[in-house]
Amino acid sequence: MKKPPRDEPRDDLSVTPPKTWAAGVPAVVHALEYSLEQTAPKETAVDLLTMNQVGGIDCPGCAWADPAPGHRHRNEYCENGAKHINDEATTRRITADFFRAHPVSDLAGRSDLWLNQQGRLTEPMVKRPGSDHYEPVSWREALDLLAGELRALDSPDEAVFYTSGRVSNEAAFVLQLFARAFGTNNLPDCSNMCHESSGFALHETLGTGKGTVGLQDLHHADLIFLVGQNPGTNHPRQLSALEQAKRNGARVVAVNPLPEAGLLRFKNPQKVRGVIGQGVRIADRFLHIRPGGDLALFQALNRLLLEAEDARPGHVLDHAFIRDSTSGFEEFAALVRQTSWDDVLEATGLTREEIEQVRDEVLNSSRVVVCWAMGITQHKHGVPTIREIVNFLLLRGNLGRAGTGACPVRGHSNVQGDRTMGIWEQMPDSFLDALREEFGFDPPRAHGLDSVDSIRAMRQGRIKVFLGVAGNFVRAAPDSAVTEEAMRGCRLTAHVSTKLNRSHTVCGRTALILPTLGRTERDHQTGGEQFVTVENSMSEVHTSRGRLKPASSLLLSEVAILCRLARRTLGQGPGNIHWDEFEADYHTIRDRISRIVPGLHDFNRRVARPGGIRLPNPVNEGVYRTATGKAVFSRNTWQAPDVPEGHLLLQTLRSHDQWNTIPYTLNDRYRGIHGSRRVVMVNPVDLSALSLAEGDRVDVVGVWHDDTERRAEGFEVVPYPTARGSAAAYYPETQVLVPLDSVADISNQPTSKGIVVRLERVTP
Amino acid sequence: MNTVEETIEIAVPVRTAYDQWTQVACFPRFMTTVKRVEQIRPTVTLWVLGLGPVRREFATEVVDQVPDSHLTWRSLGQRHGHRGEVTFRPTGAGGTALTVRMSAEPRGLTGVLTALPAATGRVLRRELANFKTYVEGHGEASGAWRGTVRDGQVRPTEPEPPRSRVPAWPVG
Repeated sequence: MKKPPRDEPRDDLSVTPPKTWAAGVPAVVHALEYSLEQTAPKETAVDLLTMNQVGGIDCPGCAWADPAPGHRHRNEYCENGAKHINDEATTRRITADFFRAHPVSDLAGRSDLWLNQQGRLTEPMVKRPGSDHYEPVSWREALDLLAGELRALDSPDEAVFYTSGRVSNEAAFVLQLFARAFGTNNLPDCSNMCHESSGFALHETLGTGKGTVGLQDLHHADLIFLVGQNPGTNHPRQLSALEQAKRNGARVVAVNPLPEAGLLRFKNPQKVRGVIGQGVRIADRFLHIRPGGDLALFQALNRLLLEAEDARPGHVLDHAFIRDSTSGFEEFAALVRQTSWDDVLEATGLTREEIEQVRDEVLNSSRVVVCWAMGITQHKHGVPTIREIVNFLLLRGNLGRAGTGACPVRGHSNVQGDRTMGIWEQMPDSFLDALREEFGFDPPRAHGLDSVDSIRAMRQGRIKVFLGVAGNFVRAAPDSAVTEEAMRGCRLTAHVSTKLNRSHTVCGRTALILPTLGRTERDHQTGGEQFVTVENSMSEVHTSRGRLKPASSLLLSEVAILCRLARRTLGQGPGNIHWDEFEADYHTIRDRISRIVPGLHDFNRRVARPGGIRLPNPVNEGVYRTATGKAVFSRNTWQAPDVPEGHLLLQTLRSHDQWNTIPYTLNDRYRGIHGSRRVVMVNPVDLSALSLAEGDRVDVVGVWHDDTERRAEGFEVVPYPTARGSAAAYYPETQVLVPLDSVADISNQPTSKGIVVRLERVTP
Repeated sequence: MNTVEETIEIAVPVRTAYDQWTQVACFPRFMTTVKRVEQIRPTVTLWVLGLGPVRREFATEVVDQVPDSHLTWRSLGQRHGHRGEVTFRPTGAGGTALTVRMSAEPRGLTGVLTALPAATGRVLRRELANFKTYVEGHGEASGAWRGTVRDGQVRPTEPEPPRSRVPAWPVG
């Protein structure tokens, strides 16, 4: 184990050609290197060998599904999962001495990387009003303080309770129960910022908020679309599923503004042929699309399919399916037939021939899966884009059959489960009624605030208390300067966390750090050793059981913190909620969940089985809970973003050495960026047009229709094969450029993949 | 393709025989070569077959299914490819004539089985006899799935099946 860094890492950029393949031996080397920097060989071995195994630790990283029990590799994890779990299992510790040496004002000037590298939080800390230091505080005083502030509010709606996707089902259920018993639906979550557009679009068109595919479907698809996603970095285990699909004969069409290594070729480091061979080519076709051009692409494909049907009636569309199981086809078809090729080619940056070749791929395939991620959802027209993808799937009956379906690829291990547990500001009455029946209190019915609206409310002084359970809200949220100012206006900010991050340094008048157990750690309660449950992106609910000794004896589990807080805040009321029981034994929470969340009946018994519970998707049962009772063809229109001459459309993205808001190093080896994150990647042709050259220093300046200047300073220009007219730079450093009001229609999700910017040269 | 076909008469009404056939997860209880069946969804099932020391695992997809009439399936994936059909016809005595027809490429376990029609016929006959004993012994089906499948898709049914009652609100 290496000691935590005292100083900030030095920026020293070097650029090498982007990689054309992902994983392989370097992935193993980098994973082990980072793991052993963070922790001891024994801990590394324990957590890696139990990770994603039956009865083991669920990787706190992405939400990709595990293979069925009996089919898992002994090392069932990826490079980024290994880094992520050992980043949590680190043996570095932050003590009270650390906070004595580093006032909040000092910490606020530190980088995300430096803060994370200091190690695990070990005891509760408070920053009192007027003080520039966190100081130790007992759990009792910390929770009394928080409960006191909550009780002192004029209205429960002056508090927000934020959740990140690391939170277990049990903690999520307890949190939403507490918030609603307290009297508010203010339950923003990280979903609001990643796949909210998917949820709204799928719910409206298919009557389900979740993806319809399982691993089996990917394995047996004829054609797989990977749209607006980077599996090599963000969901590396998806590459194993794609490898299997390819070996079964599938073809893959990748659609992305950047030719990411993981989209091109995969060398599976767990197989000999991946170590010494050439690996598997992933994308048979790569569409180098402009950011946000995906709606136009799918509309063009849909038009081409309709025209193919005209040419060969009865041979292209699935008429029986359209007739029996869908609504709105005629209206949809009438609109799509008017799609203008000029507009499509302008929006996508593709040629008509490229799109027609994909049409041919579709016509040659009887089973199609479309996968997508935030390259789709984080655009102003994210919801219509996903609705158009659904149209595309419906036309040829690519839903509900084996080897077909819609696959939103979610990025945080339990982000889907938290929503299943009721973490949503707009939960339907059926759920709230079930809470009332079970617990004997009447939950509030007025919709609460999502993430963007929470920040708006904080700015207006309407929110006094912010509690974040896991995550790094300040860095995940858009418009960094605005968000930070809003947070600082709170009376109290509190974070339940495992490690230090910037959210702890952007304090309300009073601030609390409530340190908690990580996924990797054993969780002993008075009812015995506990496990928690999570739900992956394919609706499989299973257990996660920590194996390591906790980082400190003063850590409490998330469930324990929330139960104790609830007790202190609510006293004996309302209703009959036994917080003590919940804290002592999580089985009692799951018993309650089983009576409230449809599909999780008999939860404790069923989740204990190897592989856990597979929640059915109604679409695969022939059920569409939409307004028409059928799958809905939708009519979608779009407007290309107005990018003035001399400007670019910026998308924010993660580096390979990064998990969500936390970079592990300054490197991004797949893209060939080393030693710095303050880079902006631009197509060489655009650079010439902008009279910029490699190595120029620029400020990236956001353009938005308010008078606020949003500026990310001191970036180095890197020529990179981004799609023409676009640029890419790392998140969260460029979150400062995403206006709070630049949100996706309908879903209110920040548009972090479609920001108009200009590059201003900085003279050294 | 090699094909085998076996018919057996069962002394229960068609509906009972059909309903029991839809409960494939129960098959290991009475079939000796079926070691495990996992129902992923109404149309997709994972099977583990065993004959002596040989084990084969594969997924199947129901292609068409009409209650009390017939069910056709096919294996998923390129290996051990086979197709099958089971039909249910009422007999004059109020029972059911159940016919299973399987066709397989001449490779893999199922291929080997169907390449030896006499031996395969014996295995299939024995398993159907096991099914007969089970369903006649109980006199009623242990469950039922009454949905209809066409071209691999479950067709809309009323009322909504209980299995589909899961959280449907948007997931971010």
